[in-house]
Amino acid sequence: MTTLIEAKGLSKSYGSHQALKSADFSVKRGRIVGLVGPNGAGKTTILKAILGLTSYEGDLKVLGLDPARQRHQIMQKVSFIADVAVLPRWMKVSEALEFVTEVHPNFDLNKAKHFLSKTNIPMQARVKELSKGMVAQLHLALVMSIEAELLVLDEPTLGLDILYRKEFYNQLLADFFDEGRSILVTTHQIEEIENLLTDLIFIRDGEIVLDATMEDVSEKYIEVMVSKDDAEKAEALNPVMQRDVFGRKVYLFEGVSREELEPLGELHSPSVADLFVAKMKEGK
Amino acid sequence: MTAIKWNDQQPIFRQLKEKVVELIIDGEVSEGEAVPSVRQVAADYQINPLTVSKAYQELVDESILEKRRGLGMFVRESARGKLLESEKSHFLEIEWPKIIQKIERLGLSMQSLLTDKPTQVEEQ
Repeated sequence: MTTLIEAKGLSKSYGSHQALKSADFSVKRGRIVGLVGPNGAGKTTILKAILGLTSYEGDLKVLGLDPARQRHQIMQKVSFIADVAVLPRWMKVSEALEFVTEVHPNFDLNKAKHFLSKTNIPMQARVKELSKGMVAQLHLALVMSIEAELLVLDEPTLGLDILYRKEFYNQLLADFFDEGRSILVTTHQIEEIENLLTDLIFIRDGEIVLDATMEDVSEKYIEVMVSKDDAEKAEALNPVMQRDVFGRKVYLFEGVSREELEPLGELHSPSVADLFVAKMKEGK
Repeated sequence: MTAIKWNDQQPIFRQLKEKVVELIIDGEVSEGEAVPSVRQVAADYQINPLTVSKAYQELVDESILEKRRGLGMFVRESARGKLLESEKSHFLEIEWPKIIQKIERLGLSMQSLLTDKPTQVEEQ
């Protein structure tokens, strides 16, 4: 099976508010997919649906299973770190390890101990004595020791300092990710992980407005800095966004060929953050 | 490898590839030696492993690296000479003509450039 998540017409309403409006997307095996959108766009609803934590309409398959009915089976192969990741404050680190060993059939205790030995977290410490960064490390050690095919991360590095954030992704790449697994991650710190992603999904007001591989993104979206004299020529090619820099104009084009743009100036790939801003403003 | 500041004018895999070529030419990675694993490079630079694989694969296709089953990627015995050759021809065919143009534009003479060497450049 090469597709780990397949959503077709995925919808969800909270009362009269439509949180998801017939979203289509898929996550293939061996990919690191960034799900990006402003607050309230529907990211968490999508993650909850994938994890079988909320009801929905439409078609959704996770590892070929139905999250609403087969949550138990899915959770043996899927792990999750939430932005509100909490472990019981009274629990000792050693007890947390014992607990996961008891409840999770695919948990490798030795692996977890190995990961923890590389941190400064003492086995006998209680969760309430750990710093926020250490709690995230503990979570990651637990989650990376589960033989999961899909890892879902919801703002995993929220509130962590830059050293812990870097270390977090470093560990994921060094000790967890391989071609047999996929990672689905939401984050507002998109510039920190843009080079790490293989695929990008943008969501706005419950609708998927972009779903592409990073390769396609870099082919399709090109930024050009244009001098005033060429502004008219650039505008004739229908840029999706423009901004002013040092009295020159920077245009963002979607699906215009390099050959057409090259005479106008130096071509750049937009950062994911710039692309995000453009996509969120589009048509507004 | 030291930190790399990526630019946004070229795909990262190409910049990484150039970095590896540089390391081989400078002798920092010798012929017959292994290059860091895809996983290691991905983790160090926080880039996705497919990007690293792509850079390595192109170097395999160009006979600079070779894959040894179960052991990883190695610099081929003939790699450095090959890279030097192609860097030389790139310099002579593309960079050098541009430099000559600039010298002429600035009205400098070849002769004075060769005799009045800037002091900070060490004699080879």
